[in-house]
Amino acid sequence: MAGRSNIPANNSALIAIIADEDTVTGFLMAGVGNVDLRKKTNYLLVDNKTTVKQIEDAFKEFTAREDIAIVLISQYIANMIRFLVDSYNKPIPAILEIPSKDHPYDPASDSVLSRVKYLFSADSVASDRR
Amino acid sequence: MAAATAAAEEVLQHMGPVPRVEETNNAAAAEELGGDDEEILRFMDSADGYLLLMDSLSSALRQGWLDLASARHSMGASRVSSTLFDHKEQSAATKLQVVYPADLQASESNPHFSLSKWCLQEESNSSDIVSAQDSATAKLRYRGSAATPDSSNGSDARTAESSTGVDVNSQVQKARSKALSVFGALVSPKLRTAQVSFETALELIVELANARSAILSSFSQINREA
Repeated sequence: MAGRSNIPANNSALIAIIADEDTVTGFLMAGVGNVDLRKKTNYLLVDNKTTVKQIEDAFKEFTAREDIAIVLISQYIANMIRFLVDSYNKPIPAILEIPSKDHPYDPASDSVLSRVKYLFSADSVASDRR
Repeated sequence: MAAATAAAEEVLQHMGPVPRVEETNNAAAAEELGGDDEEILRFMDSADGYLLLMDSLSSALRQGWLDLASARHSMGASRVSSTLFDHKEQSAATKLQVVYPADLQASESNPHFSLSKWCLQEESNSSDIVSAQDSATAKLRYRGSAATPDSSNGSDARTAESSTGVDVNSQVQKARSKALSVFGALVSPKLRTAQVSFETALELIVELANARSAILSSFSQINREA
């Protein structure tokens, strides 16, 4: 922390969640739940009635809000809106794909680790040319 | 190109071991390597750390889900449900603090995240008067609970035993029980352990966010140099 300064520190930023019921319940128990004056929450509970459009809208809303620093999204839900998640490349809010109860974490589809894939494919292309 | 993508798939499947191999060669090779290769090594280290943290997060979440399921089993499905969520206006008790490094521009910087659980950091930054007041009220509360021994429960006894840091502990306990109050006054101990598991998961998530930040920063650095 020595090299860091508190220049444009965003004090008290929120964590947003797009996940299944148990995951959302757990994180709300840990104290991340926020409801503002307009009754807008910082979480979206996804069940079998939730449409992809609702997930897309929530993702766009959470990534556009300035008071949110991390967006947690279950990986199987991220797979439903993969085009949106992969095209997102801002440092804040940080998008983190987390495992869910029925779907274990798969590094191959994580948007962050796709950079490793890209780097290695670029390297292998370079080595092919040599 | 097809061969290249196939090779990339193969690398990704073995993504765990690959950075470790690089890491073991790190000490010997670092002297010979240029800045570009050092950046790639840093990138691979960050990716390795990210995967390790994700493993820990999976374990913490699994423990949390198991405890939550146990609590639901003992309390009943209707008492541990999303329908009980409080939709009234409320502020999050656990928040993040984002700090940008001083030497980089805001557009290309890698932000550093830190967790302030149950708003403790904000309160610790305030003056000592507040903590003195809290300790005084805490003492009064113990005297009151000692007068009615029947009403004291396990958590009260535990907090009474630890005389040092009583104010912080009591604040955390108060905030934790407030977060669980939507599920009723008397909740299963498993619900409390689930809460602790998800708190651990949150800590890991913040570390993951920092690892992600490092990956993106190294990646953009490598791309710029290439």
